[in-house]
Amino acid sequence: MSLNTSTVSSPSPVTNVEGRKRPSTSSRGAYEYVLLTAAALFALIAAYFVGTVIWRAVPAFREQGFGFFSNAMWNASFDPTVPSQFGSLSMIVGTLITSGIAILIAVIVGTGTALAITFLLPSRLRTIAATLIELLAAVPSVVYGVWGLIVLTPWFQYTVGPWLAGIPGFDWLFGTTAGGQCYLLAGLVLGAMILPSYVAIGREVINSVSKELIEASLSLGATQWQTLWKTVIPTARIGLFGAGTLALGRAIGETVAMSMVLGSALSTNYQLLKPGATLAGWIATQWGEAQGSSQVPALFALGVILMVVSLSMSLISNRLVARQRRAATL
Amino acid sequence: MSNQDATVNDISMAQVAESASFANAPVAMSLRNVSVAFNGRTAVRDVSFDVPQNAVTALIGPSGSGKTTLLRALNRLHDLTKGAVVSGEVKLGDIDVYGGTIPTTVLRSRIGMVFQRPNPFPTMSLYDNVVSGLRFNGVKKKSILDDACEQALTAAAIWDEVKDRLKAHGSTLSGGQQQRLCIARALAVEPEVLLMDEPTSALDPISTASIEELIGQIKNRVTIVIVTHNMQQAARVSDQTAFLLMAEDRAGVQIEVGPTSKIFNDPDDSRTLDYIRGRFG
Amino acid sequence: MTTLHLDNSHHIREHLRERASATIKRRQFVSRLMIALCWLAIGLAALPLGDVIINLFTHGWSSVSSWAFYSQLPAQPTLVSPDAVGGVSNAIVGSAVILGYALIGALPIGIGIGVYTAESDSRFAATLRLVVATMVGAPSILMGLFAFGLVVVQFGMGFCIMAGSFAIGTMMLPVLAASTEIAVRNVPATLREAGLALGAKKSTTSLRIVLPAAITGIVSGAILAISRAIGETAPVLLVIGGSQAFTWKAGDFGEALPFMIYQDASSSYPAQRAQAWGIALFIVIVVFFLSLTARIWANSKQKERR
Repeated sequence: MSLNTSTVSSPSPVTNVEGRKRPSTSSRGAYEYVLLTAAALFALIAAYFVGTVIWRAVPAFREQGFGFFSNAMWNASFDPTVPSQFGSLSMIVGTLITSGIAILIAVIVGTGTALAITFLLPSRLRTIAATLIELLAAVPSVVYGVWGLIVLTPWFQYTVGPWLAGIPGFDWLFGTTAGGQCYLLAGLVLGAMILPSYVAIGREVINSVSKELIEASLSLGATQWQTLWKTVIPTARIGLFGAGTLALGRAIGETVAMSMVLGSALSTNYQLLKPGATLAGWIATQWGEAQGSSQVPALFALGVILMVVSLSMSLISNRLVARQRRAATL
Repeated sequence: MSNQDATVNDISMAQVAESASFANAPVAMSLRNVSVAFNGRTAVRDVSFDVPQNAVTALIGPSGSGKTTLLRALNRLHDLTKGAVVSGEVKLGDIDVYGGTIPTTVLRSRIGMVFQRPNPFPTMSLYDNVVSGLRFNGVKKKSILDDACEQALTAAAIWDEVKDRLKAHGSTLSGGQQQRLCIARALAVEPEVLLMDEPTSALDPISTASIEELIGQIKNRVTIVIVTHNMQQAARVSDQTAFLLMAEDRAGVQIEVGPTSKIFNDPDDSRTLDYIRGRFG
Repeated sequence: MTTLHLDNSHHIREHLRERASATIKRRQFVSRLMIALCWLAIGLAALPLGDVIINLFTHGWSSVSSWAFYSQLPAQPTLVSPDAVGGVSNAIVGSAVILGYALIGALPIGIGIGVYTAESDSRFAATLRLVVATMVGAPSILMGLFAFGLVVVQFGMGFCIMAGSFAIGTMMLPVLAASTEIAVRNVPATLREAGLALGAKKSTTSLRIVLPAAITGIVSGAILAISRAIGETAPVLLVIGGSQAFTWKAGDFGEALPFMIYQDASSSYPAQRAQAWGIALFIVIVVFFLSLTARIWANSKQKERR
């Protein structure tokens, strides 16, 4: 935006055209100092934020070495002669599976929903749907956790689980024992949680595809679906990808709901009916009993992994938003 | 609408002589008592005329006279608008456009459209843009697509300019070139009729002139119906002109239809004469 | 003018017509199928989300509509009196207090940095902008870890309300900064230029002209940040310690609404689980009214301008 370049002009030169000395304009007034202080404070907080998490994780990394990433066990030892064994592998697997299921649901159901809201619903319903979606996006994640724990878990334990476990030939995917709290349930809850924000952004992006492009496509003889698939979605592609990245970031960082519906099992077993653990969820689950022991640095170490993952996702989605903005101005 | 453009008298006699009468010419489309209403409110009422084949028919009139609404009724674009009702009879040759005998998608590939602002598909290359219509209709053979691409771009008089960069994106072209691209895209599906909705109003004068020249060249292969708010353009480019006006009930009605030379030199209706003379609009 | 190769044209036209009529049935079928799937998608989306809302109201309404919910302290149900759950007054006060302390720090810094990054072109500002954008998406539990390390351990305050405020404040900072920056950037450049043209200093222009014009966006951003803060469990979960008492002292153990949901939801007493739903419904209603207020206020400001 041109706003900045026109306003951040350097102070006027000391002498004007006639060679007389201009009255000095102080280049740093109180206002600027206040802003700079705020900026400095923020920079300090941000630095401390990253620093604290990393610093307090160091003991765990030092003790566990690279095994921290390959170890699936989590054994706190209270005997000083026996080393504790902390590994993040189970949580990494758990985070991958739950977030994977969630983002699949969000993108497939969410894109279809966004398309339906924009093109299929009559205009009155459209505004209602849009408001509902925004409302749902503001519902705190703990509510979804409660819903998953109280409402869905019994259903999974007594109905869905046994049915899925009984499907012949799909043992490898589901496992044979029906659980209540399990990856599949957690993935579904997580998917429901990130769906509204994905649809909210996706709808805006899809809505911004110009009507003339759609009419041009139809005028060439394309069917409605061909128009959606070959014209609307590709044009909205970048924005949808950004929405997806945001949703994925939220899914990866979700703590409470995951600790409520995933059970707390340490395993690298990927079968969907098995319980598991996620990076953020495990920190919450173990926090209470970890106090005062060597578990605390290990939990901080999990936080570091989370930080790195979320940082990379942020960088990617920032790039995408910038590209979408540039593409839109062409 | 500005009146500082050239007046009617500047139109060369040669062009006037070319606008023959259409009493016996074959008819590409015919309209009978066509009306368009949105949620009960009539926007266009009772329009009837024939669109002669391989000629250019212009729809002119001040804003609000329903020209674009009428144009969009010809390829059933109003199907997309809830509450829009098209009555009367629109025929493409012998086929009733609104009769349901041929699927709307097939119909729309026989009546193409070019829009006011050039709108190449932003995520497709030039090549993909031009052949997009063919691909939509199920054509996959590369040799056919290549041929059609070259043909269409040649017909749009832009082949030489872009033949070496067919993989480039539409945004690398200028406005006039983009509009030619869109015309090529529409021509590639070999329509019988090409509808043009103010195709040059977003372009600079030089591009406008070259598009007008293009229209003259392609009318041999496709019948054209063009909406324009620029009278002089209508006079330069069309063989037949229909003049529409907004009536008291805000519906667009047809005042006069006839060969362009007649409309611009000796119209039957005084309102037509007033419009031509620039007294309103 | 090039002459058209009519032979080629015919062969293309024939091929096209043939392919078009050969594929039309399939294309129409696919189109109808996919459109139906889109309807299915919206139905599939409505199912769980609708279920959440229904459950919220069915289970939570009795708590939210009772006076005891707001006035009483939580009680522990026993086998003898399984319905004696009391209320959540301490959690309501706790959340308010935590939020209040957090806002004292987060509002000035957040808005300040938002204005700074909107107005400055320096490399420092650009870096800050990137940091803000990154922090916005950071998992909230990290803020809890941060507050633990800093307040609980380093400052030696132990689990307390202040730690919770720190965590929540750090979470709100980037949201405030980002929305403030957007609000300030949205002020038309002409407004600022008019101020400068009148001879005002850059700082006066910003303070007197630009900021007031951006106030709508800033307030909306603040409401957004607050809505998020009310519902986030993870950051407070780690650091406030939990308490059954009524308090506002920064050094005491604290209680917060989402934390209480977390505690109550896994109870074996249905009455306590119902209370969890009640708190959840309460939060949703509060957030809803906050955003409604923001929208109404923004609209009225828009009308004022006309």
